Amino acid sequence: MRGRVLLIRLGQMVLVVLAVVTIAFLVLRFATGDPARLVNPPGTPEDIIAQTRERIGTDKPVFVQYGEYLYNAVQGDLGTSFRGAQPVASAVLTALPNTLALAGITIVASAGLAIVLGAVAAWRPGSIFDRAVLVWVALAQATPAFWLAVLLVLVFALNLRWFPAIDMNGWRSFVLPVTTLVVTLSPVLIRTARQSFIETLREDYIKAARARGLPSWRVFAVHGVKAASLPLVTLIGLQLGFLLAGAVVVEVIFNWPGIGKLILDSLASRDFPMIQGGILVAAVVFVVLNFVVDMLYAVLDPRVGAARA
Amino acid sequence: MTRPLLEVRHLSKEFPLKKSGLGRRRGGVVRAVEDVSFDLYPGETLGLVGESGSGKSTLGRTVLFLVEPTSGDVVFDGEPVTTDNTASLRRRAQIVFQDPYASLPPKMRVRRILAEPLLIHDIVPASKVEDRVRSLLRDVGLSEEHSGSFPHQLSGGQRQRVSIARALAVEPSLVVADEAVSALDVSVQAQILNLMKDLQTARGLAYLFISHDLGVVRYMSQRIAVLYLGRIVEVGPAADITSEPLHPYTSALLAAVPKVASERTVVRIDSGTPLSTLVETGCEFRLRCPMAQKICEEERPGLVEWAPGHQSACHFALEVPQRLRTSLPVAGGGS
Amino acid sequence: MSDALAAVEHAAPSQTAASRVGGRILRSPLLLVGLVGTTLIVAAAIFAPLLAPADPTAQDLANILAPPVWAGGTVDNVLGTDVLGRDVASRLLYGARNSLFVAFSAMLLGSSLGLITGLLAGFFGGRVDSILMRLGDVQLAFPFILLAIAILGVVASRPAWLLIAVLGIPGWIVYARVVRSRVLAEKEKDYVAAATALGAGPWRRLFRYVFPSVWQVVPVIALLDVGFLIIMESTLSFLGLGLAPPAATWGGILADGRRNMVVSQWLPILPGLAILVTVLSINLVGDGLAAVFDSRNVGGGFRRLRPKAPAAPSSEPGAGSLLAVRDLRVEFPTSGGRVKAVRGIDFELAPGETLGVVGESGSGKSVTAAAVIQLLEPPGRITEGAVFYDGEDLARTSDRRMASLRGQEIAMIFQNPAVSLNPVLTIGFQLREAIRHVTKASRRTARDTAREVLMAVGIEDPDRISRQYPFQLSGGMNQRVMIAMVLAARPRLLLADEPTTALDTTTQAQILDRLVKLTEAENISLVLITHDIALVSEYADRMLVLYAGEVCEYGPVREIISRPRHPYTRALLESVPRVEDPADRLQVIAGDLPDPSEDRVGCPFADRCPLVMEVCREAAPPRYKVGPVHTAACYLWAPERAEAVAT
Repeated sequence: MRGRVLLIRLGQMVLVVLAVVTIAFLVLRFATGDPARLVNPPGTPEDIIAQTRERIGTDKPVFVQYGEYLYNAVQGDLGTSFRGAQPVASAVLTALPNTLALAGITIVASAGLAIVLGAVAAWRPGSIFDRAVLVWVALAQATPAFWLAVLLVLVFALNLRWFPAIDMNGWRSFVLPVTTLVVTLSPVLIRTARQSFIETLREDYIKAARARGLPSWRVFAVHGVKAASLPLVTLIGLQLGFLLAGAVVVEVIFNWPGIGKLILDSLASRDFPMIQGGILVAAVVFVVLNFVVDMLYAVLDPRVGAARA
Repeated sequence: MTRPLLEVRHLSKEFPLKKSGLGRRRGGVVRAVEDVSFDLYPGETLGLVGESGSGKSTLGRTVLFLVEPTSGDVVFDGEPVTTDNTASLRRRAQIVFQDPYASLPPKMRVRRILAEPLLIHDIVPASKVEDRVRSLLRDVGLSEEHSGSFPHQLSGGQRQRVSIARALAVEPSLVVADEAVSALDVSVQAQILNLMKDLQTARGLAYLFISHDLGVVRYMSQRIAVLYLGRIVEVGPAADITSEPLHPYTSALLAAVPKVASERTVVRIDSGTPLSTLVETGCEFRLRCPMAQKICEEERPGLVEWAPGHQSACHFALEVPQRLRTSLPVAGGGS
Repeated sequence: MSDALAAVEHAAPSQTAASRVGGRILRSPLLLVGLVGTTLIVAAAIFAPLLAPADPTAQDLANILAPPVWAGGTVDNVLGTDVLGRDVASRLLYGARNSLFVAFSAMLLGSSLGLITGLLAGFFGGRVDSILMRLGDVQLAFPFILLAIAILGVVASRPAWLLIAVLGIPGWIVYARVVRSRVLAEKEKDYVAAATALGAGPWRRLFRYVFPSVWQVVPVIALLDVGFLIIMESTLSFLGLGLAPPAATWGGILADGRRNMVVSQWLPILPGLAILVTVLSINLVGDGLAAVFDSRNVGGGFRRLRPKAPAAPSSEPGAGSLLAVRDLRVEFPTSGGRVKAVRGIDFELAPGETLGVVGESGSGKSVTAAAVIQLLEPPGRITEGAVFYDGEDLARTSDRRMASLRGQEIAMIFQNPAVSLNPVLTIGFQLREAIRHVTKASRRTARDTAREVLMAVGIEDPDRISRQYPFQLSGGMNQRVMIAMVLAARPRLLLADEPTTALDTTTQAQILDRLVKLTEAENISLVLITHDIALVSEYADRMLVLYAGEVCEYGPVREIISRPRHPYTRALLESVPRVEDPADRLQVIAGDLPDPSEDRVGCPFADRCPLVMEVCREAAPPRYKVGPVHTAACYLWAPERAEAVAT
């Protein structure tokens, strides 16, 4: 039974990736006119354009192009960049770990921050600390990532010169981008964690655990955290998209060699295979992460686990 | 001999099995109600009593076609009811629910709640709606000032009065009361029960009175039907059922009811609905029954009339009064 | 604490909903700040053409990158100029106009789509529902912002409608999900079934019944959504994918500023501040409104508030009794006033004795139990009185001492067994945890003890049950586990708060039989709290009858059952229909409970009492002695009257 559920789930993941790739393919082919014209400067002679068309393969019918693209993609060949002869797959795979590192540190740091701040705020709702957390959440939520990044660069890189302003180079270069992302991702997590803790602490089983005389810290850490972190796990899954959007901006500002910057640079140069490849890889990473989140949920909540099994 | 107002024949309701359901599991469905038949006469109260998972609420809703039956027939006032033919049922049969918080639309004022049925069925001309609402409020013991209130501004008892007034608005001949007083405090419960009795006398209503509380059912009903796992196991005159039960389950229910000013009662029966146990043949109750014999495993007892108007689905119905009056060992084991 | 909640619930009708909401808005400074800020910003956006000092697109190449006025600039360009010499103040105003227009339009688009799909999917279910929700899953499974960036990046021109569509359409799923789940919850409620029974068709049910209860979630999400969309719009503009130049956008100004930040540090800071203030104001309104409509988030947490005043010197621990409650008073401050849930309760409990506490909702019976074990939910607190346990006043003892008493000496069983056990931990884990906490036993010993106590409460296969989670067991089974936990600790005092109310009658009988047998065997003192006077008569030695937070009658069960002295006790006995003794007509107590937040003079039962006298409304009746250990708080038993009424 379990295996079947897993298979269905994998099938869904493949479908999602396929859907995203298809939409991206259609948008890029139809919303923009002839790519061969776009990659060449205006006024290029027709025969050169025809040559370009042949080189990049857009002379064939669209469905043939689509079929070929999928066929090659399955075998790991994502085509070749319009500009230069670099294979898309290798460019994307070089960029991917950089983005994942950024996103990974951000998720772990934000979740940790959310659990700690959420728990402390929920310990005494309405206390000074709780209010401070709420004000911080409201402020952070209203802060645009790109502006914060610019401010951080202005203060810590240009004025104080503590951290590098751009490029990925050693642990110091992680500080400003990660800070930016954590500040933008964490407020919604903190808010949810706080709410979840408040509600959990009000549950009868918490009261019952206290009536059994278990020390407060134990009630909190053993009985509270596990149940209260469930909504957080779901939310992290839902926030991955938001995180990725933030990553694009942060990568651009900090000149970070990740997927986001790759896609954006390729947009500027109309490098369609590269955009397409970037989106494909992002989609794969995305469904895999969502899958991990779901599994984590099933592990944390026996009710879900039992329903699945 | 008057014609029954409501005839229910071989009514069954299955629900597709979700992750955890009460009742018996078989082939991915839960049989909430199984092969239930009974008649209800005009002006009469039939009490339906059973524990959680007995299917009593589902039965009440299925009879009114709020839930579509899987099989079986419902005949209302001589007319067969089907999914496409509920008009007369909707016009003349109503329901009062348990939870006074959930059974009234939260965003409507009382005035509007009571006007809805009048408008839907064009019962009175628009100009008369207000008068009718006022008289309905009076009938259930509320004052005119309540007509402007929202449900959350009323107490539990007042809300239940509004529910009853809403049911009365269509001038029904049948009201299904689904645990109508279970959520109320005892002092308020008595008010509502007496109100329902008075309305029955004044308007000739028939009640299908569903409750887990044997005392309440006994107070309200002329006849009582006892449900166990979706089936009627005993039905008969209220006084006979509560004083001389002919089914061991009824006997166990009676024994378990706490009683004021009495010595501890003797026979207590293993509790709970056997969730994991499939009983494919024989009597459903035999796993908990102190009187079970070999035949109970092999043959499912049908409802048989053992005394005038008193039916029981037990092979040893006539032995129940003697056997369970004497002290029997309490069946042990988990629920 | 269901009792206290019921009391609070009861207090609500005394105030109209509108004035309550209005009051909360005024009492929430953050919401006010947000409202004022939002109004100002929206006004600035609408009247930008009137307010802007200059044409936002007018270039002045002679005066580029001028600093703001406080950094040495001129009054002509209050906030300085940009790289083309355009007035920054004017551009920010027009930026507000563009940003808010795009964000609001996108929000309207997304919310309308979401509201409609959510309503239809939730109400009609079936195939429509599954298709829409699968579509939503696909969308949520991928960040459409990336696709949006791709679309906006490759199209030849970017008109406002395209931006609005790209930003707005993906938002539908958020609304649709929330609306759908609200509709699903709402349509299962009995009032919708009642509408069906009245003959209301599906559209009438959807729009007249369900819709009014669900639409309120939309504005709250919409406000937060607008904030989010403003940031997204600015992000796109910042990346050069927003409205095409020369249109002024906050993101665009910031992008310019970033390129020139070495020269002009204010240029990137100002538009960011504009975004921050705008989004913050809107979010404050959203949060504030959500809090106003949802008042659940008051109080809670782990605090234990001790009484401010010392115990009255007259109160004494009661020699020979294990528990002695003296003039206990408990209050819950709420937005509707102070709910005085318990108003001076006294009782005593000897070792091994069983006391039944009887009362209806709002009687204060559960609050009393919570007060004894010191688990009142803050801001609820004991205001006066003392709770002597073995001579020690629990109301004033330290948190540490209290924690060491709980579980070891004083234990409690709650009403709903299904929620008294942690749903994400196994039965065995929770049982062993409790055992090890009390006995400090080794893991192995705890396991053996767990097996023993489970068997003792009638569970035949303890090893299997130990591996299960609470949701896999029936209510009766869970309550047995709770009792097993208590048994393992061997406390001296057990508080059982409606331990069987959530269970079937046959289960109730079994559980209570077992519980009472165990407490008798272990010489545990039991406080059995219930609304069912018959239950008390079967199981308790002494009985305490509470009404609206006050004691009506207190004495031996047999005596009270056979000769109730308080009219309320009598009414309780006579208003419950009995199987064994069917009445033709029930005695009725007219009227409703008194308001728990009001101060009262006189007897709380006066308004409903059939025997009410003038004196009953003038002063609270003292507790008259009507037997050796039997008191009744009723003027009928005043010495000068007692002889006349004695039965």
